[in-house]
Amino acid sequence: MASSGYLSRAQGAVRILHAAARGTAAVTAVFCLVIVVILAMSLAQARKADPIDSPVLEKLIREMADRPDDEDLKYQIRSLDLLTRRAHFATRAFIRNGAFLLLGGVVLLLASLRVLSVLERRLPEPAAADAAEPPHLFSERGRRAMSIAGGAALAASVVLGILFGSRTVPPASVSRPPSPRPDGGDVPLFPSREEMLRNWPGFRGPDGNGIAYCTRAPLKWNGATGKGVLWKTEVPRPGFSSPVVWGGRVFLSGADRDGREIFCFDADTGDLLWRASASGIPGSPAALPEVMDDTGHAAPTMATDGRRAYAMFSTGDLMAVGLDGKKVWGRNLGVPRNGYGHSSSPIVFRDTLLVQYDHAGGARLLILDARTGETRQETVREVETSWSSPIIVETESGPLAVLCADPTVAGYDPETGLELWAVKCLEGAEVGPSAAYANGLVFAANDNAKCAAIDLETEKILWDRLEELPDCASPLAVGAFLFLASSAGEITCLEARTGKVLWQREFDDGFYASPIAAGDRVYLTDRNGVTHVFRAGAKYEEVAANPLGEKSDCTPAIVTGRIFLRGRKHLYCVGEK
Amino acid sequence: MRGERTARRTGAGVLFAGFNVRPAVRPPADLSSCRAKTSSEAPNSVKGAENEAKSTRTPGLCCVLTLTIVVVIVACATASAERFPQPEFDSGYQMPAQAHPSAWGNAWEYLDVAVLAGALVTASYLALKWRRRKGMFALTVFSIVYFGFWRRGCICPVGSLQNVVLALTDPGYTLPLSALAFFVLPLGFALYCGRTFCAGVCPLGAIQDVVVVKPVRMPRWLSHALGTIPYLYLGLAVLFAAGGAGFVICRYDPFVSFFRMSGELSRLVMGGVLLVLGMFVARPYCRFLCPYGVLLGWMSRFSKRHLTITPDECVKCRLCEDSCPFDAIRKPVEDEGPEPRAAGVRRLGMLLLLIPVFVAAGVLAGGWAEGALSRAHPKVRLSERIAREDAGEVPDGTTESETFRQMKTPLSALHEEAENIWKRFLAGGRTLGGLLGLAFGLNLIGLSVRWKRFDYEPDRGACLSCARCISYCPREHVRVKEQGGTSDGVFRVP
Repeated sequence: MASSGYLSRAQGAVRILHAAARGTAAVTAVFCLVIVVILAMSLAQARKADPIDSPVLEKLIREMADRPDDEDLKYQIRSLDLLTRRAHFATRAFIRNGAFLLLGGVVLLLASLRVLSVLERRLPEPAAADAAEPPHLFSERGRRAMSIAGGAALAASVVLGILFGSRTVPPASVSRPPSPRPDGGDVPLFPSREEMLRNWPGFRGPDGNGIAYCTRAPLKWNGATGKGVLWKTEVPRPGFSSPVVWGGRVFLSGADRDGREIFCFDADTGDLLWRASASGIPGSPAALPEVMDDTGHAAPTMATDGRRAYAMFSTGDLMAVGLDGKKVWGRNLGVPRNGYGHSSSPIVFRDTLLVQYDHAGGARLLILDARTGETRQETVREVETSWSSPIIVETESGPLAVLCADPTVAGYDPETGLELWAVKCLEGAEVGPSAAYANGLVFAANDNAKCAAIDLETEKILWDRLEELPDCASPLAVGAFLFLASSAGEITCLEARTGKVLWQREFDDGFYASPIAAGDRVYLTDRNGVTHVFRAGAKYEEVAANPLGEKSDCTPAIVTGRIFLRGRKHLYCVGEK
Repeated sequence: MRGERTARRTGAGVLFAGFNVRPAVRPPADLSSCRAKTSSEAPNSVKGAENEAKSTRTPGLCCVLTLTIVVVIVACATASAERFPQPEFDSGYQMPAQAHPSAWGNAWEYLDVAVLAGALVTASYLALKWRRRKGMFALTVFSIVYFGFWRRGCICPVGSLQNVVLALTDPGYTLPLSALAFFVLPLGFALYCGRTFCAGVCPLGAIQDVVVVKPVRMPRWLSHALGTIPYLYLGLAVLFAAGGAGFVICRYDPFVSFFRMSGELSRLVMGGVLLVLGMFVARPYCRFLCPYGVLLGWMSRFSKRHLTITPDECVKCRLCEDSCPFDAIRKPVEDEGPEPRAAGVRRLGMLLLLIPVFVAAGVLAGGWAEGALSRAHPKVRLSERIAREDAGEVPDGTTESETFRQMKTPLSALHEEAENIWKRFLAGGRTLGGLLGLAFGLNLIGLSVRWKRFDYEPDRGACLSCARCISYCPREHVRVKEQGGTSDGVFRVP
């Protein structure tokens, strides 16, 4: 009797515990479900009131850009920002508290379910022996399931291959291993900065800024008598392109109605090493475009990177030849419609060629792969026809390509072609001169517009000037000075920071060639072929006036202690014997 | 048995070879001294079980030795740090500040390693020596609290394998010693005493273990087929970690959001779904997703000791048949089945001959999928995005592309890097595909080989050593009663 009483009390206790556990489980399950729903709603609300992504706040901030002094607007922005942040963090705190409640509810739910499972535990009752899956059936079904899974995986990979393809990177943009030299060595893909500075790779020297990094250059010569002239060579075809020099080679282009060619001369002897014809270029027009006599068909100065030499002609033909004269690639960019004739010179930047192609058919900046001529980037420019050339500016934040045209001077990323800034200062001009750069300032000058100094930091015009402006010769910035040379024969020296005129000189013959600085001297050739050498200083000090013996509109190349000048018919090398 | 010993010796050597750990890591002492005296009989036979129970070399001795090895490694690290001071340059060049995390980490990480080692020792004791499910449950709760909520689910051994892979493939990456310890310790314990890490130490497994309410038995062929997914996940995790595409195991950890009480909604939902599913399909992540479980399963197959259902002999009472919620108990198989032996041999031979075909198919499949795989790398995605923006295919830039452009890094450098990454993923994808093809073939072969078994025993690869099955065995209750204790009763011996 006692034991049966004990058992009935124990069974009663188990029943009570079971009911309690079941009730607790039910209540906590409902509790957890409610918390989950409330948390889900709070999460959705938190997403809507994101203080970082608030359209109303963004709109107000944009309005403030136009009204920076509006105090009411500022107050409105601050208040709205504070309210949004408060709401956001309050919601986050609410969600966090809810998460803790949910955690507590889940723990209680699991505990009550565990109690229930213990109380409801039954003795194990193995199923009938023959009801279990026999091993051979498992093997058979398992193999079938594995085969289906394997087939599905194979099919999935095929679908992925079709949908996503096998290659994701544009192959034209990828650098490839450098081609070996004939002696079996390897040449880097593009020249180093030091190599560029040691040579004369394009119009107005390295970077196109008119600065020669050779500080020891000849001061006096006479092309007519031969004094100071190392050699003088006839150029087979006429052209207004200036000489470019790399290693022991001087490159020139020339063109007339009979043909267009690239010439390579030995820099030490003046011997013509080879000549390469720009013929057979796909898309090249059958008829030459009409150009002015002052421009001709070979006005753009060539460019070189020590691996290839690049030349452009009035037809829009752009050709690259190896240092042995063999054609590497040629393409036609479209015949430029620009009245006078195309004269903008390409410039080398690392493994690309930058071409400023502003004409009536559409202005654009082209970034071409130097090895293949393929277009890597093409940026459409909202400018008029121009004849100036790009320069490369090395700033603290990286290299910059500066282009001049009507109406803007613009800075571009030379890798991507992305326009970074543009300043209007050349409206209404037929822009021929290129920009100049020194000490954080970009200078642009053109007749019928203005001469402006643009601060790269603020992208604003620091000062401008309207008199004695050039229309062909590019300005030269050397240290604290800016030099302008006009077609009317005026040389003006300005203080670069302020635009204050320091001195002016007038000459009988105008200047088409651009001035070049070497050390503390400036070399400027007038249209009569006389190269005026003067000090780059606050006072005019003439060092020499050196006649060439023939007319010239080309900019000299000053490199390795020598000066290379192109006259109408000859190429000269001036230096010490 | 001899083959098992060879496999264990090779496995131990592989564990400690070739890691870029700063300071230098010495290979461990030979683990052969840890092993108990071998028995010529299978460990789960009657006589083998007796020898196991009577062995004087406890699991604790080897665990202490393992801890000693860890301390030696740390000491070597200290010594080598002093042996290799920074060089002094005549030009006055100053070494830049170290950008990578120091291998020393901080004190909390070393405490975590100590707690991990202690928990592994405890789990091994609970599974092999004390054979107590209640104790294992308590350890499970402790692991959720400590490794889960307190240490916020990181670092965990499951993710540490990616750190190790990255250290092997990237010379610039310094593997923290704690990450190495987290990777090695559970594998070492699995090699000796089975998957005791999974039993009650892994926080991901622990949180799933506590929600098992009413486990439903899945068809075995289905769970077998789903059990191949972890191999794919492991391969992808290794490929992405080696390729620099990130740690996918961590990125898609379903339970870390619960431990941290915050996270992306998608991850919370994924974790919630797995937990709700886990109430009925026990430990779905562990059985059908966990990539680290693949390695643990390999180690466990060759383990010297393993949890057994019966403490001594199996009387084939069948009471434990349905005790395992993870379907890891294998029944005795004494007859060869209705299929003629010749047909089985023919099928086996054909599968062996098809192995190279499976491998080749896997290599092809891996090559086809590399386009999708390489896009997991952010540099490849950025390169493609910028190319599409420059080609005018998309109108606006993304935050990443705009940031890249402002950095003025040459575009050619980005594209070149993306091309190199693509090539790495192509090679890696093909290798992964080939290995998966091989695994597929070996799996089919495994399904075609006839295994004989005389007792009810846990599958060494699949058994998580949770000790649930122990209390179903009447022999266990006899043992406990003889020792004067009380058992965790499914039923109690009066």
